[in-house]
Amino acid sequence: MKFGLFYELSTPRPFTTENQRAVIENAIEQTVLADELGFSSVWCVEHHFLEEYSHSSCPDMFLTAVARATRNIRVGFGIGTCVPAMHSPIRWAEKAAFLDLLSNGRVEFGTGRSSTWNELGGFNAVVDDTKRSWDEYCRVIPKMWTEERFSYEGTYFSMPERCVLPKPMQDPHPPLWVAVTAPGTEFDAADRGMGALILSIADVERNVPRIQEYRERIKRCEPVGAFVNDQVAIANWMYCHPEDAYAKQRGEELIATFGYMAGQTVEVSEAYPANNYSALGLLGSLRPDPNAPGDAKKPPASGLCFGDPDSLVDTISRWQAAGADHLIFMVQAREHLPQADVLESMRLFAREVMPHFSDSGRKKAVGA
Amino acid sequence: MSGAAELLYGNRAADDIALAATPLDTAAADTVVIEDVEILYVLYEMSMASALERLPVSLHPSVPALFGFTFMRAPGGPLGPFTIAWYGIACRTGIKPRHLIQGAFCNRIQAADFFAGRYGFACRTAEVGLRETFDRVRGSVDVDGATLIDVAITDGLPLVGAGALIKYSPPLNGTSLAGGPALVQFEAGYDFKRVLRGRPRLAAFAAAGLGDAGLAPTHPIAGSHAVVDLHLMPARFQVDLTTPAEAGGARKIAR
Repeated sequence: MKFGLFYELSTPRPFTTENQRAVIENAIEQTVLADELGFSSVWCVEHHFLEEYSHSSCPDMFLTAVARATRNIRVGFGIGTCVPAMHSPIRWAEKAAFLDLLSNGRVEFGTGRSSTWNELGGFNAVVDDTKRSWDEYCRVIPKMWTEERFSYEGTYFSMPERCVLPKPMQDPHPPLWVAVTAPGTEFDAADRGMGALILSIADVERNVPRIQEYRERIKRCEPVGAFVNDQVAIANWMYCHPEDAYAKQRGEELIATFGYMAGQTVEVSEAYPANNYSALGLLGSLRPDPNAPGDAKKPPASGLCFGDPDSLVDTISRWQAAGADHLIFMVQAREHLPQADVLESMRLFAREVMPHFSDSGRKKAVGA
Repeated sequence: MSGAAELLYGNRAADDIALAATPLDTAAADTVVIEDVEILYVLYEMSMASALERLPVSLHPSVPALFGFTFMRAPGGPLGPFTIAWYGIACRTGIKPRHLIQGAFCNRIQAADFFAGRYGFACRTAEVGLRETFDRVRGSVDVDGATLIDVAITDGLPLVGAGALIKYSPPLNGTSLAGGPALVQFEAGYDFKRVLRGRPRLAAFAAAGLGDAGLAPTHPIAGSHAVVDLHLMPARFQVDLTTPAEAGGARKIAR
């Protein structure tokens, strides 16, 4: 099991220079500590116009800053949006390869298509086409990395022969991932030989069949890249504290803050009826059916990593048994927690939880 | 950091939220089913400042701010034939999408009384139309010969399979309950028989005639026309007018 950090860069109002800078600088400080503590990856979303919820419109810039401040931790696009109104696939190939060189070959390239009207409407994107354009991007970007010169005539993208530069450092190219929120997208990931970056926060039991299906299906994949990236990463939350009840309480506060921010956004399915957005995205999945709101609050998801070290070892063991390869943690929401608390939580996690899931930790446990 | 987080709430005084004159029938327990109801639902964006001016502190706006038109035409059934229309502003209580209703119209007294008693709709009597023609589905509201609302969808595209449904945000209406003024939530279920998505066209929106000259739908998003079996259930949830949105949310109506 590997552990990473996941950044939305949620920002409190008012959007002052001080607040915006603090969010970014605190996040970078966390990634530097994570690198020292042995976390394996840092992922950064791409979002636009999501007030408070995510000010991370330029993940390539954030990840470049992280890469230059760290030595070992991998830097992941979580995800790059594959929608023509937002990006050309050429620019994604260029940015990811450039960052791969700057980071000494540490890039993970996640792909997706956005699920909010805020973003797709803001860019005047063709909502009905996002799944198909994502599919086309996934197939051309690896070729831009691996072929010296590349040309293409497609539906959503075409280009005459050019040498897309630079080429990435990793041979043959950075691992490819897909953001998985709607049920069934794990099949899309598996069929294309791409890693599944599962963003359905965060029930273990609900994800077991998805992971099993993914594992079975990827055996028969036709990879869009030059290799199969058979990995499952789960986006999750983490707050670790010696007192279990205190950690869970703080965790609930993080979830509530996240829910408040997420609640303001407009899911595509709320505004623009379309077959390619019939399921709720990550944000909408936090909302019960508006026509049948529950009497009580939804119970906390079973796989959230809020608790004391023993509690987290238990929860993560269940994720491991479910087949997850990575847990990628959000550790902050709109700067709700003091930065010192976040850093101390990470230190405690690295000291008392991570060893249980390292090779040396497992051997020690067996020997004991 | 600059201290406590500043949150995005509506800033209309609770006292300024119009309350229905008809008392809510909290004793209603039956579900009224009407078959083959046509629903036209059209969404536009609107300015955030305009939305915040009209939402109370107990609601926060959607981002971006949205404005929605709804027309329902019942060909018959327990309430007789009627057409009702309302328009409202998208909002959230806690994390759930709803629309705070800004105005409503109905062409039949019996139906207007039902919607007032069950859900707090304060309907003005009007000529309310919902018509499907060869190239559009059009909803209109006329009062004393003046067209107040004329909205349509064109270029209809049938939605089939898993996408053949519309996620209507439930309306909220100001009303008086035993505990004082509150917002009551429309409670309905929909069995979809046919769904079209179309491009919005707004031919008339007489804001001054509607009693709110500053109200303006801006950027069109999408519209839909559905045929459903409509289940009108007793109202179940209310939202406080003064509890800030982040601490609020819907709770059950005391009966």
